[in-house]
Amino acid sequence: MRLPTPAIPRGRRRRRVRPRLRILLAAVAVILLGIGPPAAAQRRWVVAFANLTEEPSVTLEGTGFTGPEVRESFTLAARPYPIDLVFYDNHRDDARAVANAESAIARRVDLYVQYHRGVSANATVGQKLQAAGIPVLAVNEPVPGAPLYTLDNAAAGRMAGEALVQFAARAWPGQPVVAVVIGSVSAAAEHVPERVRGVADALGERLPAARLTTLDTRGTTAQVAPLLGAFLSANPSRKVLIAATDDATALAAKAAVEAAGRARDAAIVGQGVDRSIHGGINDRKEIDPTNRNSIVIGSVAFYLDRLGYEVLPLALRMLRGEPVPPRTTTPHRLITAANVFVEYPPYDMN
Amino acid sequence: MARIALVGAGVLLVILAFGSAAFAQSDCSKIVPASPWGPNDQTGATNRVTAAVTKAAAAEIQTGKVITMSYPLTDGVPLFGSRFTKTILTATSLAPGASYGENELTYMEDTWLSQSHVGTHLDGMGHIGRKDCYYNQTPMGKYINQNNMTRLGLEHLKSFATRGVVIDAVKVFQAAGKFKGNPACKKPCLEKGTVITGADLQAGLKMYNVTLREGDIVIVHTGWGDLFEQFPAQNATFNSGAPGIGKDAATWLASQKVVAVGSDTWVVEVIPGENPKEAFIVHNILLTDNGIHIIENVRTDLIAAEAAATKRATFFVNMTVPKGVGMTGNFVAIDGIQ
Repeated sequence: MRLPTPAIPRGRRRRRVRPRLRILLAAVAVILLGIGPPAAAQRRWVVAFANLTEEPSVTLEGTGFTGPEVRESFTLAARPYPIDLVFYDNHRDDARAVANAESAIARRVDLYVQYHRGVSANATVGQKLQAAGIPVLAVNEPVPGAPLYTLDNAAAGRMAGEALVQFAARAWPGQPVVAVVIGSVSAAAEHVPERVRGVADALGERLPAARLTTLDTRGTTAQVAPLLGAFLSANPSRKVLIAATDDATALAAKAAVEAAGRARDAAIVGQGVDRSIHGGINDRKEIDPTNRNSIVIGSVAFYLDRLGYEVLPLALRMLRGEPVPPRTTTPHRLITAANVFVEYPPYDMN
Repeated sequence: MARIALVGAGVLLVILAFGSAAFAQSDCSKIVPASPWGPNDQTGATNRVTAAVTKAAAAEIQTGKVITMSYPLTDGVPLFGSRFTKTILTATSLAPGASYGENELTYMEDTWLSQSHVGTHLDGMGHIGRKDCYYNQTPMGKYINQNNMTRLGLEHLKSFATRGVVIDAVKVFQAAGKFKGNPACKKPCLEKGTVITGADLQAGLKMYNVTLREGDIVIVHTGWGDLFEQFPAQNATFNSGAPGIGKDAATWLASQKVVAVGSDTWVVEVIPGENPKEAFIVHNILLTDNGIHIIENVRTDLIAAEAAATKRATFFVNMTVPKGVGMTGNFVAIDGIQ
């Protein structure tokens, strides 16, 4: 409804209305400046990260990375963001994982990043957090209803297989070649069989003549030498492509090949790119521009030491109400002597 | 036959000259900015230390108190990477009967076996580049030989007789309620990986009502040098990372036209860096892009304490000689004179 405006002479109306307008505008400005955008800009969020495990001796996802390295990546990645982190250790235990989520609900965190392997525990965690209105972002293992950030083991395996195929085509054209996948090949909980499948797919498509053998070390690198030694003895006149399921196995495979006097007949690709293979500034680095002739021709990066850098931007988008894809995968990349210093500049000394 | 040999040699030369990407010369005009002092400039930011700047800086001296800002270069101090330093004192004439003449003259001399980037030290324009491109678009591959570089050496440095400004980042972070220290430090120190931003630097300046001037040297106190002082016990921790300025702070300092930035860490910039795929990016911003010197392992605790006591964060920068029996003209140490 419009109210009639009293007939006031123009000049007089100005004099009477302006002070009111000024007050009104000033009030609006105070609201906008004092409460509006600056408050939003200064808003900080509390993000909980429940790590799979904090045990320093336990490696994750069939690679050489540990839980503390993953947690550190969150700490470092959070530095430019308006995020305060709360850390939990799921300790690879379902009951602990549920208790951690309950603790986070009690603390009223703004978002929960869950990294845990138990299917039922993840479902319970998801339900409890959803009931509390806390968004969840799952890492490497699904939480029902939550977006997932995960490794792509099959793609990583395929990348390793393709690197070996390309090497064989370049270095050994027309020569008889066999291939072997070695490592914890049956570690299903860590999705290693997906890596093996990826290697097999690449070899099957690009180098079908190369017979593929799988050697299971069952998580013991000491098994690499006897298993691979026997394999090399059984294939005395063939070139050997070796896909190791992790970097420790790749280095052990290199030692076994050298011990067998077959270094000229072998090429190895690892998985992970942990510190054992790229190293810091003071370390001897297997993949290094000054070590281009290593038979470890590369390793596929899993970037678990940079997980926080990938996950926190997704978390921030969720907190801001922006859409995120239901599944985001690690951008795996083959690291070789040509690009290792670009991907992993050796600036750290310890 | 001779023609074939000639052609073969020519092909070989072409392969050697162009075959390796590692030795390819980059177009440095696309990689590094040009110096504001012209294409022949090899001096960098100390061009800003004019007579007027030095005169104004001298006015900062009020009490004449000299505060050391260097650590002694002795064996066992933390060193970056594979760097080494070794000091040897020749004192054989102190042995009985080894003195000379009736006046029994004795003598001692020092020997340093050392790389230059150890202890408190200055990074020059020739230290850091992008690919083969260094300060002022210099393609350094053309200017190096087995013994030295023929451009961008420190011989082109102008005077450091200018104003120094200490920024106490420890106090800044404490005042902002965001201080996180390292338990190995005996005095408060920022934890490694702590990013000091341009806003933090400005907050530090505001604490002492200082506005930066063109030609200033900025010294950032992080407290991390406390670990250096504990050498060799804390060398591993000292080298494991550092608090320091990030890209934002480096860019802001460059915009303030300072001539050098120093800190009490081995690197001045934050380690681990803000982006794990970038290596020492602040070095690129300051040295390569702006010709601003970096001074590492500066002893900052004494000047920071002096600033707190006197409420004055500015001082006159003086170059003197470090600990030793004698010294060539090529070695310096740094003092601040209030």
